[in-house]
Amino acid sequence: MSGEKGRSRILQTTKKIGELILEYFAKASEAKAQGKPVAWITVFTPVELLRALDIYPVAPEHFSAMCSARGFILDFLEESERKGYSQNLCSYSRCTLGYALSGMSGLMPPPDLLVTFRNSCDVYVKWWQSLQMHLGTPLFIGEAPYVLAAEDLDNYVLDYVVKQLESLIRLAEEKFGLKYDEEKLVEAVKLSDKASELWLETLKLRRCKPCPLGGRDSASDIFPLVVMQGTMEAVQFYEELLEEVKEKASRGEGVIENEKYRLLFDGIWLWYAFDLIKYFEDKGAVFVYEPYSEAWACRLDASKPLESVARKVLSMGLNVDIDLRIERFLKSIKEFNINGAVLFSNRSCKTWSAPQLITAEAISGEFNVPYLLFEADMADPRQYSEAQIKNRIDAFLEVLGES
Amino acid sequence: MYAGIDAGASATKVVITNDKEEIVSYAIVPSGINFKVSSEEALKKALEKSSLTPKDILYTVSTGYGRALVNARATSSEITCISRGIHKLFPSARTIVDVGGQDSKAIRIDENGRVLDFAMNDKCAAGTGRFLEVMATILGKPIGELGKLHFKSSNPVKISSTCTVFAESEVISHLSKGCKIEDVIAGLHNAIAERIFNMASRIGFEKDVAFTGGVTKNPGFVEALSKRIGLKPILPPEPQIICAFGAALTAIKKST
Repeated sequence: MSGEKGRSRILQTTKKIGELILEYFAKASEAKAQGKPVAWITVFTPVELLRALDIYPVAPEHFSAMCSARGFILDFLEESERKGYSQNLCSYSRCTLGYALSGMSGLMPPPDLLVTFRNSCDVYVKWWQSLQMHLGTPLFIGEAPYVLAAEDLDNYVLDYVVKQLESLIRLAEEKFGLKYDEEKLVEAVKLSDKASELWLETLKLRRCKPCPLGGRDSASDIFPLVVMQGTMEAVQFYEELLEEVKEKASRGEGVIENEKYRLLFDGIWLWYAFDLIKYFEDKGAVFVYEPYSEAWACRLDASKPLESVARKVLSMGLNVDIDLRIERFLKSIKEFNINGAVLFSNRSCKTWSAPQLITAEAISGEFNVPYLLFEADMADPRQYSEAQIKNRIDAFLEVLGES
Repeated sequence: MYAGIDAGASATKVVITNDKEEIVSYAIVPSGINFKVSSEEALKKALEKSSLTPKDILYTVSTGYGRALVNARATSSEITCISRGIHKLFPSARTIVDVGGQDSKAIRIDENGRVLDFAMNDKCAAGTGRFLEVMATILGKPIGELGKLHFKSSNPVKISSTCTVFAESEVISHLSKGCKIEDVIAGLHNAIAERIFNMASRIGFEKDVAFTGGVTKNPGFVEALSKRIGLKPILPPEPQIICAFGAALTAIKKST
């Protein structure tokens, strides 16, 4: 491994992500100072529509992940716990509530509007209602029926969500005197679609052996897709990223020099324990596919902007039937030439973790791919036992080494 | 000669083998707070027992929680070491249930001793030796006596909490209600057997099933777990050193 010291395993483009995110938050405060409304949204809320309304979206989930990665999440978690929120609740929700209850003097400006959709998580609604209770901010809850089959995206379910979007437009117009601009929506949809296209193309290059883009890259590089959809900055970021990954792939250069194992990672990353990815890499294991990274990309059709956005709300990975999720999983095993799967059972995200045992059995049954399942929390470092998890990783990689 | 060091959460074990893969000597000492000290002490004891000197050891492999903190040429995970150790001694074993001081695991192996799958307890001490240590303290009994007392029980109590802290108060309330101490002990053994059974059920109990780890030196617990699984297990004569033995076997393999 000593020969690798000189070369960074993280992409140059990835290294720019921190600054890009800080800029995005700084602009939120600027927008607010200029009298533009700022919306706190749950992820998979259609940001494209908010751009057409000239509302500036920020995502508390993203903010919480950042607080965890930068090591100051405990202040907010403990603040919410002191106010009576249980430690068993999602850590993102506790972080956001703690932030809201302690003055909101950080990077994320206070909200003028709260927007959530019932499209991925059971906690969203109560979490956003609690924020409304504490802050007195107007709240919009969008409904998104569960998608059991692909046809659901083409019938009355889709019309129903379009109507939800129209009522969000009305709310914004009435509350803030804003004017919905369809041309702006078309523009945002085009940019959003372009960013998704670029990201999906980049992810495809991870099929190369050695894999040119690792877990630390993918876990960071999703952020422009989370909140910056519909902006030129996001598109430029993904253009640059694709270019770098393409070049790296054509040089036959991988994340690590001696790629022994190609792994799938299922779950949200452990933001406070990014080093764990490096721990895998040091042992010759590289992450080549994560359903989580792929989940943020959604192709849109600018000729039917509102309908296209409604489709995006509905087809979010956690709003679809488990069988559809497993199908995506199984396909990836072959496409990405995967030797092993690491499944992170997340105490905070029951919706994501619930089907993991079924998924694991499916992969090991169908492809004889060994898997490792471990439990921790995505953002709360108090739920993490480093020695135990590393112990399992060692054993798991030894199993892969023997098979 | 080859040495395997298993620096476990509560005890450090050293096994010395010859190149024929036979156990020449072994020692078990409490881990204390410094794995380096306890492993050196265990190694010294094991060497003395068979009149060997440190120079006789050609290769050392460490395993267990403190594996990175002790003096050894290479490290290996407990899962691999336990599997190697059991496979060498009992080639018919296909499932291993290991109950140690701080964690419990179930391992499925094939006819060549290769690990096919494994499951481990999560970040919680219930279902491990630590649970019994805590309980022995509040019962005022040395940990070594729990096994004997278990067999005096005729009416085991039901411990419903799976949490060590809550189970502790449950035990106290059973005792204050006048339950017999042996019935409480049998109830505790049943409770951890239940927890381990549930954890291990994911990988199944293909025969033969072998038990390892320090806690399986407690015959009361072994009885409770065997009953719950519904099988008669293979029990090594010294179940606590299997992992260190596997590490020593790994040392032989690595040195060649």
